[in-house]
Amino acid sequence: MRMLRSIPTLAACVLALSSSLLSAAPIDLNDGQHAVHLPDVPKRVVVLEFSFLDSLAAVEVTPVGAADDGDANRVLPRVRQAIGQWTSVGLRSQPSIEEIARLKPDLIVADLNRHQALYSDLASIAPTLLLPSRGEDYQGSLKSAELIGKALGKSAQMEARIQKNRENLKAIAQQIPAGASVLFGVAREDSFSVHGPDSYAGSVLEAIGLKVPSVRANAAPTEFVSLEQLLALDPGWLLVGHYRRPSIVDNWSKQPLWQVLGAVRNKQVAEVDGDSWARNRGVLASEQIAEDALAILKGGKAVLSQ
Amino acid sequence: MTRPPLRLWLLLGLLLLATLISLSAGTVWLTPDTVLDRLLAHDALDFEVWNHRLPRSLIAILAGAAFGLAGAIVQGVIRNPLASPEILGVTQGAGLALTVAIISWPHLPIVWLPLVACLGGAGGALLLALYNTGVSFSGVRFALSGVAIAVTLSSVTEFLILSHPLDINTALLALTGSLWSRNWHHVALVLPFLVLIPVGLCLAKPLNLIALGDEAAHSLGTPLSRTRWLAMACAVLLTSLGVGVIGPIGFIGLVAPHMARRLVGGHHQCLLPAAMLIGALLLVLADTLGRTLIAPSEIPAGVLTAVIGAPYFLWLLARFKG
Repeated sequence: MRMLRSIPTLAACVLALSSSLLSAAPIDLNDGQHAVHLPDVPKRVVVLEFSFLDSLAAVEVTPVGAADDGDANRVLPRVRQAIGQWTSVGLRSQPSIEEIARLKPDLIVADLNRHQALYSDLASIAPTLLLPSRGEDYQGSLKSAELIGKALGKSAQMEARIQKNRENLKAIAQQIPAGASVLFGVAREDSFSVHGPDSYAGSVLEAIGLKVPSVRANAAPTEFVSLEQLLALDPGWLLVGHYRRPSIVDNWSKQPLWQVLGAVRNKQVAEVDGDSWARNRGVLASEQIAEDALAILKGGKAVLSQ
Repeated sequence: MTRPPLRLWLLLGLLLLATLISLSAGTVWLTPDTVLDRLLAHDALDFEVWNHRLPRSLIAILAGAAFGLAGAIVQGVIRNPLASPEILGVTQGAGLALTVAIISWPHLPIVWLPLVACLGGAGGALLLALYNTGVSFSGVRFALSGVAIAVTLSSVTEFLILSHPLDINTALLALTGSLWSRNWHHVALVLPFLVLIPVGLCLAKPLNLIALGDEAAHSLGTPLSRTRWLAMACAVLLTSLGVGVIGPIGFIGLVAPHMARRLVGGHHQCLLPAAMLIGALLLVLADTLGRTLIAPSEIPAGVLTAVIGAPYFLWLLARFKG
């Protein structure tokens, strides 16, 4: 009888235990390199690339820290608006490990390419996801966003947002003049690097039905070109993001050869925000690029962030 | 004769002081007694001092000492005060080998990098040796052909970096020379210095004799060509191993022996240890400044040593009458 009487107590204990286990929701995932175990939904996230900030913005999570090159203005304005303030942990290329440790994160998202050397240190601070970011194209960056959504315990929300992103881009594709060729490049003082079809911006432009010329067969996603090479590519539209002024394109535009470019003769050269187009990748960045491209090709001007 | 050893002790004291500062400095400043407490506790959970700053400082000390010693040995062998491993193609050979390895095998474990760098450094030195065989040894010919080889190798490196823009980041970081992201794993990689450095120090006496001139050294019983080979091999290994672990740190191999010569004179028994201590001191300071000046952003140590070293080199050139 005593046994029977103790059953409700036992059941209560089991219930209490399981509910406390349920309130901590462990998340297990694989970033393609390592199995990552998160004991609970992470609350203090540190990210080391802009594209990961974009993913956080897509599900409205504010990070405690981010590698932002010490210049938050490089981050897409709409991403900044969505996530608010964070603490800088230094350069994306060399984030400060001490600063990351000081923030006591419970999840770190780092770039597979850039931060591989740092992995053992990062993993000793907090569970760390190594995801491709630099050199990633549109589809690839959506996959990374999906994984980040899963790590944040917001898979459903992230999937819904990605679905909305696909619809947004499809809607823009329907308004874009079909088959126009568009080339985007970044100008510094001494170099012009064009973003081909495998680059992030290039793959977004192709996703909305534009043609992006390739520098050569098997070209890297971004390649440095001279004015003569640019002439050979002869894109219908030329979109330039200036990292510095006066840039090499400012100099080129004073040369006679510049006038030979089809895009120049047809007044189809426009300026876009280099940070938004070349340094940011992700759900919100792709929409910014697609909207800018639509605005320019429809005869308006590039929407420049301040 | 008591003064030079006294100055060596002084340099050692300065190095210890610089190390203590380097352990205290960072995004959070710690007081020296907190640092000492944490060192004694050596708690694996203490990220700042035990897991981050201490291994970095140890690597800076060992690699800086190796660069300084290699520079002093090369200058002693060639008897040219403007010589250093980085103008003999050793540093650039190691750098080129690292770039090729990083671009071709992005997932190569770091344990292999020092070996790759040593092969590259030895390759650079071997090219130099090939060019200088069959003619009587001339310091000027040696140094000038070294510069030519160094420039050729670094232009190939530059081409590789330009043609692989996406790998730039890793390759460039490895090639500016930085202690960023170095930890206890890398300390294990610089341990061979504990053997190489004593070997280098043993060269002090033959180097003293070489300093008297080839004929004098020969008549005093120095096996000239064997000593030169041994000394160059030692300098190549010291430099390449350092480059393999933290990348090429410019100017330490040039500047440290010069400062040492001004402080303790030209006797290699004092000159070699002084060059080591100054090399270590310079690198520890460059690393500490690099990670505190604009924290949390970092300036690679190699950039800082170049900022200090380049004007010093020009000043040397202006004074050099050889």
